[in-house]
Amino acid sequence: MLISYRWLERHVDLSGVTPQQLAEDLTLSTCEVEGVEAFAPHLSAVTVGHVVTREQHPDADKLSLCTVDVGAGEPLQIVCGAPNVRAGLKVAVATVGTVLPGDFKIKRSKIRGVESCGMICSIRELELGDEHDGIWELPQELAVGTAVAEALGVADWVFEVDNKSITHRPDLWGHRGIARELAAIYGRELKPLDTSLPAHGDAPGLPVKVSAGACARYVGLAVDGVQNGPSPLWLKLLLLAVGQRPIDLLVDVSNFVMLDLGQPNHLFDRTRLDARGIEVRLARAGETITTLDGEERKLSDADLLICSGDRPVALAGVMGGEDSKVEGDTGQLLLECASFDAVTIRRTSSRLGLRTDSSARFEKSLDPTLPLQAAGHLVRTLQALQPGVTLPSAPVEDGDWSDPAHVLELRGARVRRLLGVDLSDERIATLLTSLDFGVERAGEVLRVRVPSRRATKDVTLEQDLVEEVGRLYRYDNVPERALLAEVAPPPHDARRELVTRLQDRLAGGAAFHEALSYSFVPDALLATLGLAEREYVRLVNPVVDGERCVRRSVVPSLLALLEKNRRLRADVRLFELGKGYLPERSDARGLPKEVHELALVWTRPKPGQDARFDAGLLAQLRGVLDDLVTAVGYPAPSWERPPAELALEPWMHPGRTLVGAMRLPEAQQWSLPIFLCELEPGLHRPLGLVNELAGEVAIARVSLDALLACAPRPSGYVPLPRLPGNKVDVALALPVDVPAGDARAAIEQSGKGLVREVELFDVYQGPGLAEGRKSLAYHVLLQSDQKTVSDEEAHKFFKRLERAVGELGGELRKE
Amino acid sequence: MEDRLNELRAEALARVAAATDEAALRAVDKDYNGKEGAVTLLLASVPGLPPAERPVVGKGANVLKRDIQGAIAARKEALEQAAVEAERSGAGFDATLPGAPQSRGSLHPLTQVRREVEAIFTSMGYAVLDGPEVELDYYNFQALNIPADHPAREMQDTFYCDREGRLVMRTQTSPVQIRAMERLAPPFRVIAPGRVFRNEEQDATHEHTFHQVEGLVVGEDITVGHLSGVLKGFLRRFFLRELEVRLRPGYFPFVEPGFELDIRCPFCDDGCRVCKHTRWVEFCGCGMVHPRVLDAGGVDPEAWTGFAFGFGLDRLVMLRYGIDDIRHFMGGDLRFLEQF
Ligand SMILES: [Zn+2]
Repeated sequence: MLISYRWLERHVDLSGVTPQQLAEDLTLSTCEVEGVEAFAPHLSAVTVGHVVTREQHPDADKLSLCTVDVGAGEPLQIVCGAPNVRAGLKVAVATVGTVLPGDFKIKRSKIRGVESCGMICSIRELELGDEHDGIWELPQELAVGTAVAEALGVADWVFEVDNKSITHRPDLWGHRGIARELAAIYGRELKPLDTSLPAHGDAPGLPVKVSAGACARYVGLAVDGVQNGPSPLWLKLLLLAVGQRPIDLLVDVSNFVMLDLGQPNHLFDRTRLDARGIEVRLARAGETITTLDGEERKLSDADLLICSGDRPVALAGVMGGEDSKVEGDTGQLLLECASFDAVTIRRTSSRLGLRTDSSARFEKSLDPTLPLQAAGHLVRTLQALQPGVTLPSAPVEDGDWSDPAHVLELRGARVRRLLGVDLSDERIATLLTSLDFGVERAGEVLRVRVPSRRATKDVTLEQDLVEEVGRLYRYDNVPERALLAEVAPPPHDARRELVTRLQDRLAGGAAFHEALSYSFVPDALLATLGLAEREYVRLVNPVVDGERCVRRSVVPSLLALLEKNRRLRADVRLFELGKGYLPERSDARGLPKEVHELALVWTRPKPGQDARFDAGLLAQLRGVLDDLVTAVGYPAPSWERPPAELALEPWMHPGRTLVGAMRLPEAQQWSLPIFLCELEPGLHRPLGLVNELAGEVAIARVSLDALLACAPRPSGYVPLPRLPGNKVDVALALPVDVPAGDARAAIEQSGKGLVREVELFDVYQGPGLAEGRKSLAYHVLLQSDQKTVSDEEAHKFFKRLERAVGELGGELRKE
Repeated sequence: MEDRLNELRAEALARVAAATDEAALRAVDKDYNGKEGAVTLLLASVPGLPPAERPVVGKGANVLKRDIQGAIAARKEALEQAAVEAERSGAGFDATLPGAPQSRGSLHPLTQVRREVEAIFTSMGYAVLDGPEVELDYYNFQALNIPADHPAREMQDTFYCDREGRLVMRTQTSPVQIRAMERLAPPFRVIAPGRVFRNEEQDATHEHTFHQVEGLVVGEDITVGHLSGVLKGFLRRFFLRELEVRLRPGYFPFVEPGFELDIRCPFCDDGCRVCKHTRWVEFCGCGMVHPRVLDAGGVDPEAWTGFAFGFGLDRLVMLRYGIDDIRHFMGGDLRFLEQF
């Protein structure tokens, strides 16, 4: 909302208060001022000039050649195309160098061969209205050579108030409301404003009937004798300052009253209204009205209508109807000032997408005593301009309203306790009184009368009054205090701790990068991954139509990040810790089951021929997980093929998926908190991981909920070995289909309890080996707590291993 | 025979002196003192010598053997010294060779700053709570004094998860206030960082998914002064300097009185794009907990008072690192993530 400094001055003396100071004080005590700007700065740049002579341009019929006195030096020669330019006029002159709106810089120029040293401006060129049929004729009394803004006394500042900061304050939606705050802030008087209704005739008024609860009060007032036409300059300038385009006197005065008092109002052409009068009723479903903007609006039975007889003439509180528009010079008007229900108006305006200055105000629950004041203000404003304006009859009103003003009890002690400031009851009373609250001392409490303009919604509790005191006292004046209390350490939060440790481990040694992705998964991605048929929490109103599903798991969003990142980096390792939602497992109150998950994705090009031994990305990621799980306090999982009854996710490689089995604290119970797999081969292409981006893709999904339920690794340590061990290397030539797990088992068994460490360091197939054979090479540490492992002991180990490998169909390879 | 000894001595010592590495020294040792070495052979020939010559030659050869060994040891020591000396010169060192690349991962900047915030508050005795992102309308609105038809609902551009409006993507972390009061008995202090959602068009400063940190303190005599003290204390610690702040009225239905806390723009002295030329940057909404909210949480508003605050974590991260586009946070671009 825009507020004009000059407009405020109509209500409160602001002498000595700079616009910047005012903006800051309003912000600190009342509402947020987002900006302060000079109004129409170009009005200060154009000068009052006097047209001394006017002659016909020698070479152009429609141009005039003028000499204009601008109060400095010789009169200027200016060529002007306006039909109304004539000697003796006072005009607005933009001299050479002036910049007009639209970055239009005035230059010395030749027009049809004659030099022109400036421009005489029209109203439109100064952005003060649409009039462009001639130059602006200024009042004769203005002094030549002064800036137009100064001469007219219209220099103004405009404040932009953040609407959000006044949603709860219906009284601040007009200048007088803001002025009342300033009066309290600066300790000045609010200037009186006569809003009483002037004398009226006693002709019968047009009947008014309210047949819907959504209208608390409807006042209809007949107004006669208005001659419509352009508004006076002062009014236009005030409206322009706050961003309203002046239209004509009737529209402008109506807007003026709304922007002054905050009460929207409407003027009907009384000659076009049905003699049966006005009825305020709910629309019938399917009923239509064409609003002033020319749009036909289809209504529901929740919309409130103003009807003439039975014919809708206005969408109550939102916009007038096209066919009751005041056109021409009717002189016979009906002024509507009403109180409509905030919720009804908000619903209608939001359903129709029609937000107006009027609806914005009604939505805030306006003071029901305001309509009559607004009517008085409007009539008085018109009469001041046109003494012939009369009221043929008394106002007619209907509606079931009552004055919302009420009394609240305020304990001074409560104020002191909440604010933490030692304010006396007397000081509290003074502060409240300055804001127009009525205050009576009654022993320990203050009986505070809340004026109707604050009483509709805003101030209804004792604590609301504490706010009034606090903001006027200024929160910034409340001394900072330390928080004292007996405090025990916060409870242990296992999941938070787990999350932190997982993040640190992954971002550290494992060199994974933490990503965060949206909770909403695009339908296209779900379809690609074969997940479209799952149940999802679905948004009713997504930002983008195809992005309404709330994720069940973090993995799909990470898979979607692979392609773009593989374009940037050869090795892409991402992880995310996030939440998923399962609607089919909602609780009794309808809240979907929340699952906490760690997702890891890793992709890289296939290793080249000459690459060092590498067991493949799946094994790499398995190593990361072994380390991770151990680091966060659990025994390394036991990796197994998924049991047949376990349904795999469609993005899991059906032949290359492992589950990490872990023990539960209960004996013999197992859990499967981890899935580890390669990407389903059919998904490489849809995910864009082909051609130059082709490679291995390994994925892991860890359920934090399941992991937290597993039995932790026993704390304690393994004593350091007292006796040296014996390190040996073994290489096993085996048929290719013998799993490495069997080879390892053979090594462990052959050690008869002496094998402490086994590390696979090479897998080989090729020259030097028979067809269908592979070689697995291991570092093995033989160690015992009882004795030093001798070479002889190692020799026995080799002998046993030779036999065991033989049983697997292979043999030990000799160096 | 003595001539022979002298001859061997001169020859051996000359070779030792000429040796430039250990291998040459080992060769000298072998040639004279080895199994077939000249001195060894000479010693072996002693029993066949005339008895008179035996002691002279025997002794002379032994002395020679020891001297050669001594010369070799001395020479070896000298060579090592020389080698160390040569190494000291740093000859052949290319100071411009790059370091070997190390792979490293990264924590998201939101994680890093969230942890920092959590650490500051936990050091002041706050517990860190979590709450669901898909939330009941009751917690997100109703219990927070935002009944159906309240205009504040429209200010928040809510994502609804069902037609009945029972389930929403939480628009704020404030629902955790109610959950905290349901779980904990006062007095308590908690913060609740988390993801929130607003149905907004995205641009450099707007995201439909962003992050907030909620705070709630309930106690016997909690005042505006405490709220101000806690937030200013936090800001001093976070920015590691005295930061000018101001507390001004602000409207949030779940607090009364409600405030906005602004901080002096860290980027300018007299207005810039970040502060929209106001010199102030909005940092957080806060206030004294509304009695209806305490009621909804089962806390007696006559016995207890409290304050609550909520600030944007994304904004804090952007201020910390000078990030100019909020969309980077959820973009998952390695070029961005790697920097933290
Ligand atoms: Zn700035």
